[in-house]
Amino acid sequence: MGYAKVNECIIPTDLHIAVKDNTWVRVNEDGTVTVGMTDVAQSLAGPILHAKSKSPGTARKKGRPIATVESGKWVGPIKSPVSGEIVEVNEELAANPRLLNTSPYRKGWVVKMKPDNLDADLADLQIGDEAVEAYRKKIEEENIPACSHIEGTEDYE
Amino acid sequence: MDLEGKKILVIQTHGVDTPTRTYSPIYYAMAAAAMEMEVVVWFTMNGTNQLRKGVAEMIKLDPSSNVSLKTMLQQALDSDVKLGVCQQSLNLWNMTPDDLIEGVEIMGATSIIDLALGADHVMYF
Repeated sequence: MGYAKVNECIIPTDLHIAVKDNTWVRVNEDGTVTVGMTDVAQSLAGPILHAKSKSPGTARKKGRPIATVESGKWVGPIKSPVSGEIVEVNEELAANPRLLNTSPYRKGWVVKMKPDNLDADLADLQIGDEAVEAYRKKIEEENIPACSHIEGTEDYE
Repeated sequence: MDLEGKKILVIQTHGVDTPTRTYSPIYYAMAAAAMEMEVVVWFTMNGTNQLRKGVAEMIKLDPSSNVSLKTMLQQALDSDVKLGVCQQSLNLWNMTPDDLIEGVEIMGATSIIDLALGADHVMYF
């Protein structure tokens, strides 16, 4: 996975990122997309205690919650970066929500969706250098502290 | 069950004199907001004292964390939770609108009846 580090935050360069909502999209070969939250999101939340996704079959317009995530100090939505239908949820998160902290881009994926209008939705996201720079700007403007990996983090090399 | 638009009223009657009772109602309000519900936290009785400027910062249930009651209140506002305070309670606590933290709506005491009647569910703390 190609990535950049900004303020200790890992920002992948080969995933589509919704910088505003701190979510990412991986386009799969079968036409589905995998969705998750970014390293910035997990760092802001702190150690995740509980994550509950909407069920397969749920239709979601872009921007609506696909999951609720709880840490000790914060509870909030993961907002869908695309419009579509949830086709699969990551069952591992129920037993091991800390995967969202340690492996937000791999093992901590949240849902898979069948997108309604992928090209249009991807056009609103950022990827590669554009994503890195957009995140750099957001981190500066919002005074986001350096990302911490209290739970540890997997190797992205 | 689609919870979008459901209305939750949280009534908080406890304040900083019982600090362990301050975080949870705000957290529950945030959880409901995360599920797209419309949430109001109504502060009355001792709950009023949480909203005085400079006070919530002093309440830190976990001394090793950087989270204070002020963090929780701000996070709630950022999550579109409405914070309301009873006008008459303000008077009883010798507070004026200028004493309140930003983002709190002052409402007359009987607003609680309208809020309760309009809510899908009311939670009392």
